[in-house]
Amino acid sequence: MPLTLLECDIPIPEREKHTYIKKSGECIIPMCNVQTTPGDLTERGCTYAGCMGVVGGPVKDVIHLVHGPIGCAYYTWGGGRRQNLSDNPEFHRKYCFSTNMQEANIIFGGEQKLHKAILESYERFPDVNGVFVYATCVIGLIGDDINNICKQASKEIGVPVIPFSCEGFRGVSQSLGHHIANDVIFERIVGTKEPEEVTPYDINIIGDYNIQGDLWIIAPLFEAMGLRILCTFTGNASIDDLAMAHRAKLNVMHCQRSTPYICQLMEEKYELPYMPVSLFGVEQTSKALRDVASFFGLEEQAELVIESEVAKILPQMEYYKEKLKGKRVFIYQGAPRAWHWIKLMDELGMQVIGAATTFGHTDDYEKIIDRIGDGALVIDNPNSVELKEILVKYKPDLFISGLKEKFLAYKLGVPFVNGHAYENGPYAVYSGFVNFARDMDMTINHPAWKLIEGRT
Amino acid sequence: MTQTKSERSVTINPGMLCQPIGAMQAVLGVHAAIPLVHGSQGCAAYPMRMFNRHFAEPVEIALSSLGEDAAVFGGADNLVKGVHALTARRHPELIAVITTCLSETIGDDIDGILRKIDLPVELVPMHTPSYVGSHVTGYDNAVKALVAQLAEQTGPTDKINITVGLLNPGDIRELKSMLEVMRVKANILTDISETLDAPLRLPRPSFPTGGTTLKEIADTANSLGSIALCKHAGGGAVTYLANKHKVPMILGASPIGVANTDAFLENVSQLVGRPVPEQLRRDRGRLIDAMIDVQFKIVQKKVAIFADPDVASGMARFVHELGMEPSIIATGTKSKEFVKDVQAIASQTGHEIEILPGCDLYGLHEAVKAAGVDLLMANTHGKSIADDEKIAFARIGFPVYDRVGYQRRAIIGYNGGINLVDLIANSILEHGDAS
Repeated sequence: MPLTLLECDIPIPEREKHTYIKKSGECIIPMCNVQTTPGDLTERGCTYAGCMGVVGGPVKDVIHLVHGPIGCAYYTWGGGRRQNLSDNPEFHRKYCFSTNMQEANIIFGGEQKLHKAILESYERFPDVNGVFVYATCVIGLIGDDINNICKQASKEIGVPVIPFSCEGFRGVSQSLGHHIANDVIFERIVGTKEPEEVTPYDINIIGDYNIQGDLWIIAPLFEAMGLRILCTFTGNASIDDLAMAHRAKLNVMHCQRSTPYICQLMEEKYELPYMPVSLFGVEQTSKALRDVASFFGLEEQAELVIESEVAKILPQMEYYKEKLKGKRVFIYQGAPRAWHWIKLMDELGMQVIGAATTFGHTDDYEKIIDRIGDGALVIDNPNSVELKEILVKYKPDLFISGLKEKFLAYKLGVPFVNGHAYENGPYAVYSGFVNFARDMDMTINHPAWKLIEGRT
Repeated sequence: MTQTKSERSVTINPGMLCQPIGAMQAVLGVHAAIPLVHGSQGCAAYPMRMFNRHFAEPVEIALSSLGEDAAVFGGADNLVKGVHALTARRHPELIAVITTCLSETIGDDIDGILRKIDLPVELVPMHTPSYVGSHVTGYDNAVKALVAQLAEQTGPTDKINITVGLLNPGDIRELKSMLEVMRVKANILTDISETLDAPLRLPRPSFPTGGTTLKEIADTANSLGSIALCKHAGGGAVTYLANKHKVPMILGASPIGVANTDAFLENVSQLVGRPVPEQLRRDRGRLIDAMIDVQFKIVQKKVAIFADPDVASGMARFVHELGMEPSIIATGTKSKEFVKDVQAIASQTGHEIEILPGCDLYGLHEAVKAAGVDLLMANTHGKSIADDEKIAFARIGFPVYDRVGYQRRAIIGYNGGINLVDLIANSILEHGDAS
């Protein structure tokens, strides 16, 4: 079957190019990474969200100062205990900094205010090791020279002040923001410090943001094989970790949408190779450990780790496999998790009947279409109207998506797990897989669904 | 009495959001209406997430999707395309076009653009640049825009108008229940009690049932009078109706606590010419009973209150009625009116109150530390202040998402007062247990 038009999309037929029903042997990729149709009931975020919210924000020991009117800073504040955990919670994500641009600043320019704001922030939090400055939409329009202000301020306070020109309107989604953050961190931070010692077994974990502590169950596996983690990009990272990242021997790349840029840049400049991995589910995690181990000649150690970890979760996984077998799931994620998790559902004996991404590129859709079964729906940047039609028509047993879609699913009587921020995570590697399976089982088999009036 | 003004350029832990989200909340209380944000991706996605977290409900927010081209050449094409696509797909009765810092700085003439569109849907422009005012003024502008466009004199009715402000579904249900007891018919602007607290029944309707109808908005020009529950968020519409359609207006205190609720009901009573009925007197008695019951648990405790202006000033009077000391009354929105309101409370009650208008939570934290209060009442973001200072914490305002159910419970009216008594006393008791 070719590209298809959902019923709700009849009035905006351009959505057909984004909607595909998989058929083996075909080579069709839905249109992606383009501007959202105006008037859409979109779920997408902006360039600033990708730069500050995803990649920059997790850095734990810098002031994240948002240059613009107040809203953009407020919306990325906190996140509670569920997101981007760090070991510096007394500062990181607890504070939110904004220049709170007012009308007069828009008219006369905000450079002075930004300059003062940097100095004042640092004066109040002198223990930080840097300041990240993020420009929002209006800054790009009025043309504040944030590079120059940051340079000046850095001289005055003696720590790096790093400008990110991540105005929301620049890109079509979060994706450009990831790219900008990668470029800026690479150009201005990576390589500016040397580690006290290097070992032949140093790696960086690139593209993990420590959602609900993912990193804290990922890292011990690599460490148990005898590797040392020099830097994590950027979950629980300090600015110094990033500065010394170039001395690792291998970049282990997990999120392959938000970080291939820095991996490629580091490979070009420092001849530091990178290895894409999936750290979800038993099979993919074991493969990742084996691949990384073989790079370092640590195959035996890897087998020991895998054997002991798998043994720990085996009984629980058997239990959940039994309960989840045959369940039909629709996955809508930022991008890579949509394809990471297809294999994970296979492991559980579940059937992925559809997959979607918010900001996936062609390579993400290639992977999805390669992995997903015939007849499954693949849709790019779906909106709430399309999601409603899909949930009502396809009636999945489970919808995995993010907060913005959670209550829509609930209102339609569809069991739901938040794959972005997790429910009771973390969800990565072996022990996280058990958490993930448990949450899926919990929602699918929740007794209250049966009480809903009119549910068929 | 002191009044502190921050001279900082940097805002740390903000006490306000920007105008667009306030306007969106107002529109979400209109039946079959959809906010169309004229801005970039985040201008829709972020507020959605905020509403999801606070109300635990799905919301629909459309976007004109301004990108790099629009920033250079203007967003008119996107807006026209957006209105057409949204209408064709969702058939809303009303689309509110909400501007942002981006579209206002680009300088799109949205009023002119919308006038040229001929579609079977009400199109209401709402100017809410993010660099002016706060979410509170955004809400106020939105409700005013609704009545300015729709209100129409067609002959007097026996109804009254009530603008709600940035309150919760639970508050509106309490309001409706009071009005029902008084047999008063009202145009409630805007009514999120069903749209942002919808029952889970299938099949789900295309739009949530409830919400203020366009007919009700049109009818506001014909009412006996208008009352703003929160004058900073809705007062603009009430004033507009008074000036344009000669509808008598009342901009009193928010009906929080005994005296404020008494005054509100008295105002309603005078507008409709009927006395306050027995049932509400019984509710009043139950509130006072609750207040007396908890006296030794809470009396003389020093309280810091952070909320939107009218809720903060309403709460100030109520904690005084509870025998507590309103030490710090703070709001994130700059407002001289707010300062005057709280000064009046201070002089009437004899309390020394530190008034913080337009403050951020970093400034609030400094004030709390210096004053040494026992209880902080604020939104979810106030939690870390209470934790650091090891004081009791009770959640009020927006957003509250680290505990469940706040949006369902009223804080207005006598029954809302009872909820607050429980909330305050239990917060202090639980803090006592823990420390």
